[in-house]
Amino acid sequence: MDLLFQFLSNTGYYLADYRNVIMIVIGSVFLYLGTAKKYEPLLLVPIGFGILVGNIPFFKGFGLGIYENNSVLHYLYFGVTTGLYPSIVFLGLGAMTDFSSLLARPSLMLLGAAAQMGIFFTLLGALALGFLPREAASIAIIGGADGPTSIFLTAKLAPHLIGPIAIAAYSYMALIPVIQPPIMRLLTSRQERLIRMPELRDVSKKERIIFPAVAVILCCFLAPASIPLLGTFFFGNFLKECGVADRLAQTARTSIIDTATILLGLTVGASTQGDVFLTPKSVAIFVLGAVAFSIATASGVIFAKIMNLFLKEKINPLLGAAGVSAVPGSAREVHLVGQSEDPENFLLMHAMACNSSGVIGSAICAGILWSFMIVL
Amino acid sequence: MYGFTAISTHNGWAMAIAGALIVFAGLVVLSSIISQLHKVLLFWEKRHPVFKNNHKMPENDKPEGQEDTPVSPLPKEFPTDLDEIARLYQPLIDEIGETFYLSDLYEIARKNDFPHPHITFTAFRESEILVPCGDGVFSWNPPTENEDNDNG
Repeated sequence: MDLLFQFLSNTGYYLADYRNVIMIVIGSVFLYLGTAKKYEPLLLVPIGFGILVGNIPFFKGFGLGIYENNSVLHYLYFGVTTGLYPSIVFLGLGAMTDFSSLLARPSLMLLGAAAQMGIFFTLLGALALGFLPREAASIAIIGGADGPTSIFLTAKLAPHLIGPIAIAAYSYMALIPVIQPPIMRLLTSRQERLIRMPELRDVSKKERIIFPAVAVILCCFLAPASIPLLGTFFFGNFLKECGVADRLAQTARTSIIDTATILLGLTVGASTQGDVFLTPKSVAIFVLGAVAFSIATASGVIFAKIMNLFLKEKINPLLGAAGVSAVPGSAREVHLVGQSEDPENFLLMHAMACNSSGVIGSAICAGILWSFMIVL
Repeated sequence: MYGFTAISTHNGWAMAIAGALIVFAGLVVLSSIISQLHKVLLFWEKRHPVFKNNHKMPENDKPEGQEDTPVSPLPKEFPTDLDEIARLYQPLIDEIGETFYLSDLYEIARKNDFPHPHITFTAFRESEILVPCGDGVFSWNPPTENEDNDNG
C-alpha cells in the first residue's frame, strides 16, 4: 500500500500546481493557433508541444527536467544556450532567401534599417522599467521580430530569460496579421496605400553570387559579434547562388533547418516550466515585446513617408512595415493590405526586399548590442 | 532604479543613439555598394580582352593570316521576321554578356555587318526582346516560341 501511495505522490497529477496548468493552457493555445489557424505552424507547433512537455510535473532529482543536469532535454537545450540552433537556422534561411528584389532596388534596404529603431526604443523602455542592461538588450531585440536572433542574443546575455523572450518573439511573429495591419492603416492615407511600385529590373546571376560575399565582409567587419548569424546566413545564400553546391544548399534549406527548428522549438517550449516562467518579469517582457514590435512597424512606415519627401518616384509607405525581419510574414501582410485597397497592386517582391534587409539589420543589431554589453 | 535615472546610469541614451546610427550606416553603405554592383560587373565584362581571358591573345599578337571571324555569319538573304532576326543576334548577345549598353550591341552588330541595327533595336524594344534595366543598360529577352520549333 505504501508503495502505491509513494507512486501516486510521484505522479504529475499529485505534483501539479496552478502554474503548470496555466502553461499547459498556453501551450494548447499555441497548438490551436498553429494547427487550426495556421499562424506560423512550423514554429508554434513545436513550441506549443514543448510547453506541454516542459510543464508536466515530475519528481525533482530524476534527471528529467530541462534545467536538470544529464537529462535528455538538458542536452537538447544545449543547442539553445550556446546559440547553436539559431546559427543553423540562419544557414537554412540563407539557402532559402532570394536577394534579387533587394539587389534590384537597394534603396529599400533603408526601410530594413529604419524598422530596427523599435529595438533601440525598447532598450530604453526596458532600462526605464528596471531591467539590467544585459536583460534590456535581450528584450529589445524582440523588436527585430526575429525569433532565432532573439534567442541567440538572449542565450549570450541573459540566459535565464530565454523562455519568455523566445515565446514573446515567436508569439508576435505569429500575430503579425493581427498587429501590423492596424498600424499600417493608421499611419498611411488611402492615396499612399495605392502607390504602385515599378517593376524590378532583372538581376544577373553574377550579382546574386557576389552579393553574399560582399555583404558578409561588410556586415561582419562592422559588427563581428554577428558572425555566428550573418556568417552562416550569407554562407547558406552563397551555396544557393553559386550553382555548384546545389546538393548542400538543398540540404541546408530542408533537412538541416527543419532539424534545428524542431529541436529549437521543442526545447524553447520545454524551457517554460511554470515555476520558472510565470513571473512578473515575463509579463513585463511580453508588454515590452508588443511595444517593440509595434514601434518597429511604425518606424518603417514613417521612414518610408520621410523618404517620399525627397524622392521623385514615390514608394508605397506600407513597405516600411516589412522592414521587420519576420520573413515572409510581414512581406505577405504588406502585400495583402496593399491589395485590399487595389487588387492589382503587387507589393510582394518589393516587400521581400525590405524583409530580407530586416533580417540583416536585426542580426547586425544583435551584434552591436552584444558588443556594447561586452564593453559595459 | 527606474525611469530616466536608470537609462542614464546604464548609459542607455548613448547605446540607443550609437546603435541606431551604426546599423543605419552599415545598411546605407551596403545598399550603396550593391547599387553599383551591376555597373562594376558591366565594366568588368567590357574590360580589355587581354585581361578578360588569359588564353586570348591581343589582336596585334595574332598569327599572320588569321583574320577576325564574325561572331555570327549572316545568311545571304536577311530575314524579315523579328524572331528570326533575334536568333541571329543571339551569338552577339552571348559575346557581350547578359546585360549591356545599347551602344555596345550597336557596335558589335555593325562590326558583324548586321543591316540597319537602329531600326532593328527599335523593333526589339517594342516587342520587349530588348528590356531596359535603367541607366542605359539593357537585358536580352529572347523570344521563346521558336525554341520549341528548333527542338521539334
